[in-house]
Amino acid sequence: MTHRWLAIAKAEFLVLSVSMRSHRKVYVGFLTSLAFIWAVIGAPILIGSIINMIIPMEVLRPLLHIFFPGLMRTVALFLWIMLLLLPLSYALQEIKIGQWEIFLSNNVSTRDIMAGTFLGKIPLYGLIVIFLAPLLIAPLVLAFEVNIIGQVLIYGVITLMSLGTIWLSNFITSIIQARLGDSSRGNDIAKALSMVIAIIVIVPMYGLIFFLPTMSEMMGMDAFLILPSTWFADSMSWFAIAFNGVGLTGAQVIGFGGILQLDMFTSIALMGGFVLATIVLALGSADRVFTIDAGARTEIVTTVGTENIFLRGVRRLSPGPFGSLMVTNFKDFMRKAQNLSKIFYGIVLATIMPIIMMSRDIDFVQISELFIIIIMMMALIGAMPFAGAGFLESKNQLWIIQGVPDGASNFVKSRLVTQAIIGIPLILIPSTVLLFLIEMTLFELLMLLGFGYMAILGGMFIATGVTAGNPNYEDTKSPAHQVNLVTSILLAEFSIIGVLLGDMILAIAFNIDLFGLIESIAGPGNIMFAMAFMGIVVQWCLGGLLVWTGIRKLSSPDN
Amino acid sequence: MARNGTVIKTEGLNKSFGSIQAVRNLDLEVSTGSRFGLLGPNGSGKTTTVRILSGLLKHTSGQATVCGYDVSSNRNDIKAITGLLPESPGLYSKLSAVEFLEFIGALNGKNGESLNRRIDSLLGMLGLEGRQDDLLESYSSGMKQKVLVASTLLHEPKLVFFDEPTSRLDPAASALVKDLILALAEETDTSFFICTHQTSFAEDVCDVIGILNEGELVVHGSPADIIDSMKVSDLEEAYLKIVGGQVDRDALLAWR
Repeated sequence: MTHRWLAIAKAEFLVLSVSMRSHRKVYVGFLTSLAFIWAVIGAPILIGSIINMIIPMEVLRPLLHIFFPGLMRTVALFLWIMLLLLPLSYALQEIKIGQWEIFLSNNVSTRDIMAGTFLGKIPLYGLIVIFLAPLLIAPLVLAFEVNIIGQVLIYGVITLMSLGTIWLSNFITSIIQARLGDSSRGNDIAKALSMVIAIIVIVPMYGLIFFLPTMSEMMGMDAFLILPSTWFADSMSWFAIAFNGVGLTGAQVIGFGGILQLDMFTSIALMGGFVLATIVLALGSADRVFTIDAGARTEIVTTVGTENIFLRGVRRLSPGPFGSLMVTNFKDFMRKAQNLSKIFYGIVLATIMPIIMMSRDIDFVQISELFIIIIMMMALIGAMPFAGAGFLESKNQLWIIQGVPDGASNFVKSRLVTQAIIGIPLILIPSTVLLFLIEMTLFELLMLLGFGYMAILGGMFIATGVTAGNPNYEDTKSPAHQVNLVTSILLAEFSIIGVLLGDMILAIAFNIDLFGLIESIAGPGNIMFAMAFMGIVVQWCLGGLLVWTGIRKLSSPDN
Repeated sequence: MARNGTVIKTEGLNKSFGSIQAVRNLDLEVSTGSRFGLLGPNGSGKTTTVRILSGLLKHTSGQATVCGYDVSSNRNDIKAITGLLPESPGLYSKLSAVEFLEFIGALNGKNGESLNRRIDSLLGMLGLEGRQDDLLESYSSGMKQKVLVASTLLHEPKLVFFDEPTSRLDPAASALVKDLILALAEETDTSFFICTHQTSFAEDVCDVIGILNEGELVVHGSPADIIDSMKVSDLEEAYLKIVGGQVDRDALLAWR
């Protein structure tokens, strides 16, 4: 008899590898072979060559000996967060209770569902780890000239870390999905959570890039010891030390012990204990503490109340059908948790970027120095919440809108006005934060508010135009959604920064000093404001064009 | 507007998706005020036909007019005087029934008290008055279908396209929709073009039936005429005789 978890694992694997379904076996075989060749031969040669090109290994080795344990902990932390949160974020974008109901009707337990989905994910994430792990391990192996036994043990730790973390991620996903369920409301909350999780990934990423020295100073090495990723990192470091080929002396090994603080056996015990504990916890609690079943869960009936003062104000300002459309758009957009989390995400990004920049040994920051970067962040805030999802829920909804004369056109226009109003708090919140952080004059504040809002609108025009031209409905896993999101953000950003690039090209290719010309018109102190303005003009033109083509495409009948 | 007593007229209408011919040389005439039922198996081209006639899909060749307007060049005119109930519900999950109908009304250029009164009366008629302020995400599929029926009739169209109007409804709700169609057809001269699998529903509601098979109109006439010509007792038997699908019980259990 086929095990149920195995059948689920097979189905999960088929879904994850759907893009290569025509020659699945050939592709999987090829990728696996490529990954192993890369891990065993390619990566050590490549990393070794790169390191030798930059600095000879003899010079680098003593430095690596000093820095490697700490660096290993930081990289392991980053990998651990990625492995924990990315599958979680990905899984939450699509609750699968519809499939679970089929499982449940065939008497499949929660434990089987959990084990099956975990095993099904391993080939894909395993492949990613095999491609990435050598980048982490190769310098360690080269620095300590680790022998083959040591290398096998280090790869074993990486494998254990990956599997253990994916298992933990899968366990958390199952609990959340079991609580949320396959209701429209549950899906919405899950998608909102998946965005919030993305913030948790992004913030440490920024932190690692910009705050590393400060973090080390603030946290000290001790703070790392409570993180499970540290136990994996330290076990790898200990294996490299124990199986080294550089002839470390006893005193040197004791020195490493002082840096790492926990000895090899304690690190291995903590690592193994952590993985074992997650397995026992997940298997023990499945079907007991939480159960995936076909209950109603979040299918709560929400009854709408009377309209608030803001919506009544909109109706008063625009008393016709267009005002009614705007009110409906506000209700639809603001009631979805995923839209609110996207707005929150954009504001967090726009606010932390200047904070990070200010943290980098700059004694006195003037807004004019950061202005164009802040404007770019505002364009991102404008593009992100409105790109891809949150526009149309389904193709059937589009049929209904298209079934009305000029329906698609009126729909998009009312959306644009609604989104422009939503953009007002989006400029006010980061600007207020920046006002407290950066010393700025009233003129600079007004410029920030005015140009920032224009950049938000430009980003929103681009995102709406791109999405109208290629609606992906609520399917945040679809390639169309990824294309819409990435295209919108890139166009919104590069249309602004493009002016700077254009200036460079003109100067190099044609010896035209655009920068100087703008400076002579706007005044020496206002060059960044003028450049930002030019970027916004380009952005608006592009946005207008995209909206126009988007409306035409959305309005035209299918072929 | 039907200028010659004909609300829909197609001549040699074709639609293909790549190598698949969804609609094949469709010649059809539907009179004003009639209740036309288009029957056919899954994938026979019913929904494609409705989408072409309602201006949502381009046809490959042939001609079609709806209420005297050409489907190629007068799509907005057609949309203004027709209503479409799509095959699957495409509602806004985070709006209530009233808010969704207000949205549809606004798209049709209507708002204010007259729209609100019409929304209330339609929801009351369809038995949704107690749940009208609940978000649509909590509605059952039958209730969603009722909201869609209301949205289709909201702007008082001259011609209504119903694509599987009762597929998600319980018998009582189906009977309600049936009576609604008959009453509207009698009292307001509204024409109906109904795609359905349910032969009993078509037999009760429609005065003219067309049966589509593999994109081709194979039978056209009143239910009684079709039943007589096929020498059977009801429309279901006639339908099965025309499109095939009689069940061979031996073959059915052959897998055991």
